Amino acid sequence: MSNFDAGLLSFVILLVLIFLRMPIGLAMFTVGMGGLFYVNGGTVAGLARLKSETYSTFSSYSLSIVPMFLLMGQFATLGGMSQALFKAAESWLGHLRGGVAIAAIGACAGFGAICGSSLATAATMGQVALPEMKRYGYSGGFSSATLAAGGTLGILIPPSVILVIYAILAEQNIAKLFLAAFIPGILAAIGYMITISIYVRLNPDSAGTRPPVPMAERVRSLIDVLPVLIVFLVVVGGIYLGLFTPTEGAAVGAAGTGFIALVNGGLRGKAWLDSFYATAKSTAMIFFIVLGAAVYNGFLALTQVPQELAAWVAESGFNPWFVLVMILVLYLIFGCVMDSLSMILLTIPIFFPIVSALDYGLSAEEFAIWFGIIVLIVVEVGLITPPVGMNLFVINSMDRETPIVQTYKAVIYFVTSDLLRVALLVIFPSISLVLLRVLG
Amino acid sequence: MTRIFLRLARLLAILGGIVLSALILLTVVSVTGRGLNTLGHFLVDAGVLAGIGQAMLDAGVGPVLGDFELVEAGVAFCIFAFLPLAQISGAHATVDILTSQFPPAVNRVLTMLWEALFAVVLIVIAWKLYEGMAGKMRYNETTMLLQFPVWWSYGLSLIAAVVAAVVSVYVACARIAEVLTGRIFLHSEGGAH
Repeated sequence: MSNFDAGLLSFVILLVLIFLRMPIGLAMFTVGMGGLFYVNGGTVAGLARLKSETYSTFSSYSLSIVPMFLLMGQFATLGGMSQALFKAAESWLGHLRGGVAIAAIGACAGFGAICGSSLATAATMGQVALPEMKRYGYSGGFSSATLAAGGTLGILIPPSVILVIYAILAEQNIAKLFLAAFIPGILAAIGYMITISIYVRLNPDSAGTRPPVPMAERVRSLIDVLPVLIVFLVVVGGIYLGLFTPTEGAAVGAAGTGFIALVNGGLRGKAWLDSFYATAKSTAMIFFIVLGAAVYNGFLALTQVPQELAAWVAESGFNPWFVLVMILVLYLIFGCVMDSLSMILLTIPIFFPIVSALDYGLSAEEFAIWFGIIVLIVVEVGLITPPVGMNLFVINSMDRETPIVQTYKAVIYFVTSDLLRVALLVIFPSISLVLLRVLG
Repeated sequence: MTRIFLRLARLLAILGGIVLSALILLTVVSVTGRGLNTLGHFLVDAGVLAGIGQAMLDAGVGPVLGDFELVEAGVAFCIFAFLPLAQISGAHATVDILTSQFPPAVNRVLTMLWEALFAVVLIVIAWKLYEGMAGKMRYNETTMLLQFPVWWSYGLSLIAAVVAAVVSVYVACARIAEVLTGRIFLHSEGGAH
């Protein structure tokens, strides 16, 4: 068996193990090590890599942004920022038709601006918004679907943990990726709000009405969200203006949200420890996958599979757009069962060389950024796609009275909105790139 | 038994959290220092409030020397220190769409297999990290700016890596015992997908 065949076979073995519920990072690590054993002619030379590889992966300066952003998201929750955001959005939008749901989306978008993870956004905003939606007569399925979809804004609107990982894999500038994600993120929020308006008109029973809030109270609610706005502007603005590196920006953001949480009395005893535990679990999970992917991709590079596949696709004369759409469809399918980060780490080293070799009428850097944004959105669609979308389960576990099938029925509308947006972003790359072109 | 190991894992997670918080503060201090330093130079050059600007520069405001190196060394410890909690609470990402159709007994065996493999992998990682540290010690490698021996940071990480390996061995043993006796020793929260 040639090294190339071994590389292809390893991918099949990897998928089988992952579908047998082997932890994804462990599967990549083990198959990668097995592969290295094979290409090194049955010797354990591959083990020597580990003398420095584990340490250097875990001590990466650019990756240290990940635990900092995760801790920042925890502090943001403890600081009561989710409540403040929802209250503000609700007092301005709540009286509209489907207004409480629209407000929930707005609050998710705001929380996404200080939190880099989808599940955390869905879970945090769910706790705040679900009871309120129930109070004003919103149906359970519709409420859950709204929050599950809103959660995906956590990753789309910068800062975003997955964009950091993509930036490192594709050797792109993190600040530019954050900037490029901004308009697609806002479009996502607007798309969901339009979806809600359509949904409540088609299903008038699914939402009650809420009396308008006096103007004085509305203005007051805005003051409470000022800290969120300041933290977001300092972090993302500072990173973009080059005042500090992305890692420094994450540190400033985490310190800022931590300070707000401290002032608001959220950082006490058990809650504080819990924020460490939650950060620890997510961080360890992410870094083990990153380590597994480093080992597996190290092996794959030796087999030449990514290079040869890329050359083969480039020579085959396929239409570049056909190749792109096929890859996106694959992401959609796998996104339904696999978590976004593992998928990006597993596939970008293979797919990125393939599409980079094709011509989409963009410069190499613009292409890499545009592709990253689209892939990010497509894998996130999987989080809310029935029957296995992870956000659906997270929200459903908070509202035991609602059968998940009702959530499935309502979430289809949001998935449709996502797919329309993906099509839009694929057809018009300038939507993602315009901010970069104007400001860069 | 489980409680002892859970406490150990949590203790390390808290240590990691404290180190992470310290790194965050260190970075903020460094960024602020750099900002003030730039401001001081600006004031002196522009001739506006030059006295204050000069006083700031004289006071030595500036970025923390070697902040980059400290973040790298510290964050490696954090990640290793976070691993034990992820092991004992089953926080690793998995795909269970297929296995959720399997009977519970089959799933218990699968869990046991993967935890046992995980334990082996974490032992190997700790062992290789030790060899890596020994290498850095032998060659007296130091960091660029602060000139502290690189093996110090390897050593800190190694302590956490050993705890991770020990905890994962316990988890593997508990899972094996579960398959053999049919009793449940560990409750996992399922993969953080």
